[in-house]
This record gives sequence, C-alpha cells and structure tokens, in this order.
Amino acid sequence: MTEFENWLKLATRQLSKDSSAQVRREIQEHYELTRDSAIGQGASESEASRLALVALGDPRTANHQYRRVLLTSAEARALRQVRWEAQVVCARPWLTGLLLGLPLIALIAAATFFVIGNTSIARDLLAAGIGMGILFLAPFLPIYTPARGRVFRGVKWIVLTGLLGLAFGSEWLKWSWLLASSLWPMLWIEWTRVSLRRKLPVEQWPKQLYL
Amino acid sequence: MNFRGTLPTLILQALAQAPSHGYRIAQQIKERSQGVLDFKEGTLYPALHKLQNEGLVDSYEEVEKGRPRRYYRITKSGRAVLAKDRSEWRDLSRAVTMILGEAR
Repeated sequence: MTEFENWLKLATRQLSKDSSAQVRREIQEHYELTRDSAIGQGASESEASRLALVALGDPRTANHQYRRVLLTSAEARALRQVRWEAQVVCARPWLTGLLLGLPLIALIAAATFFVIGNTSIARDLLAAGIGMGILFLAPFLPIYTPARGRVFRGVKWIVLTGLLGLAFGSEWLKWSWLLASSLWPMLWIEWTRVSLRRKLPVEQWPKQLYL
Repeated sequence: MNFRGTLPTLILQALAQAPSHGYRIAQQIKERSQGVLDFKEGTLYPALHKLQNEGLVDSYEEVEKGRPRRYYRITKSGRAVLAKDRSEWRDLSRAVTMILGEAR
C-alpha cells in the first residue's frame, strides 16, 4: 500500500460507502493537481508525491472533520432504516389501520375504566393512548417543513415527559432503571437523527427526519 | 498562522469572484495571504462540505483538461453570510488594532 493509499484509508475511517467514495475522489484529484504542480516546478516524481502528501496534512484530523460533515456508516444505516420504516408503513394498509387504531382503542378503554371507577388503570391507559398517539400518528400529520418538525419534536418531548410523570408519579425514582433502559434506544435514535438533519440537505430528508 | 474558524469565510471570499475547485481555492487563499495563512489542504474539503450542507455554496461537475472536476460556487445566502462576516471582521480587527496599537 502506498503512503497516499494509507492516507486515504485513515481519512475515510468509519465513513459510509458513499461518503468514502466522495472523499477518495476529491482528495485524489487534489493530490494529483498538487503533484503535477510540483513536477512542473522541477521536483522529481517521488519528491512531488511527498510534497503533495505533506500538503494534505494529518489524515486523522481530516477524518475527524469529515465525520462531522459527511455520513458515517452508522448514520447511513440509520437512514436506510428510517426509509425502510416509511416504506413499510405506506405499503401495508393493515399496519396503517393498526397504528391509527391502537391509540384510539387505548383512549376508549381509558374512558371506560374511568366511568366504572377504576381511575388508576384509566390513568395508565390514558397515558399509553396519548403516547402511542404522538408516536404512531406522527407519520400521517402534515409535517413537511423544518419549522413544523421543530414544533412537533418540542411538543412530542414535552408530552412524553409529562406522560412518564403521569404514569410513574412519585415512584419514578423506584422505576428509574426501567425508564433509563427503555428510553436509551429512543434517545440514541433521536441523537442520530439530529446528526442526520445537520448533514443532509432538507430536500433529501425522508418524512421520519421531520418527526 | 493559526486562523481556526475563519477558513469558511476565506473560502466564501475565494468563491465570491468566480466558481472554483478545491485545489484552486487552497492556492488562492495561500497566494493572496502571501503564504501567511498556510493550512493543511486535507481540511479544506470538510469545510467545503459544511458550507454546502448549510446551503452557502453549491457544487457541479465540469471537465477540465479531460478530467472531471468538482466546482463550487457561492449561493445567494452565502453572499449574505460573507457580507456579515466581513463587517464583523472589520469591527474586530479595528478593535484589536486599537488595543495593540496603544500597547506599543
């Protein structure tokens, strides 16, 4: 492996396949122009290659900066999953019906339990109904702009936090292990989506990124 | 010289006159600063991608001497950001010069 190949390998570490190909293309182009310029100024081929490599700098620094602006392999995977989710929901009418029906069933059950006097179960069902409503109905809401997306996400987190308070009340500390372990994947997904929103132009956002 | 944080503004300035490719942008910054602003060229492209993600520059491919080259050009919002950065830099530079000038 040449020194330049090694530079590229380090600079493209953990980047997605597409990002990696893009970096390889642009750096190769830059390297060749720098090399040709050095040869034009009288440097030998090996000296020109060395100078072109020195001009590129530290590949780890470049990799660190590339990972902040281009998709990493983990983010590309998350993006594929987001697109897959949207396709699955749109292609299966029974799933759409289920997603729309479940929150409604929970709310009807909550009202029923409230009427018969079992307020504790009614409260939990109400929290579940609202929570499912926020999460499951979101793909069907007209959220197609970043501004609407920001408002929705703000409302979503406020409502979900309120619901957790409602469901666990003063016992939240006792159940904190359950809350932490079940919320962690959700927070991780949210964090990945924040990064995807930063890196992708708005016109390339799938619907789920607004939510 | 360390000019951390100002590279995006320098790129926008280099693109303000005409669209250009990465190598030429790097050379332009180095030549116009007479070698004072010497940076590692591997960090130029992440900065260009960031500007592109923010909609301040866009890119297109053009064939030059038989080779495809990625050209970058400044957008309307890029020009607005450049004008703002330029004005802020003038204020900062004036203020620092006043302080350092007094310290002679």
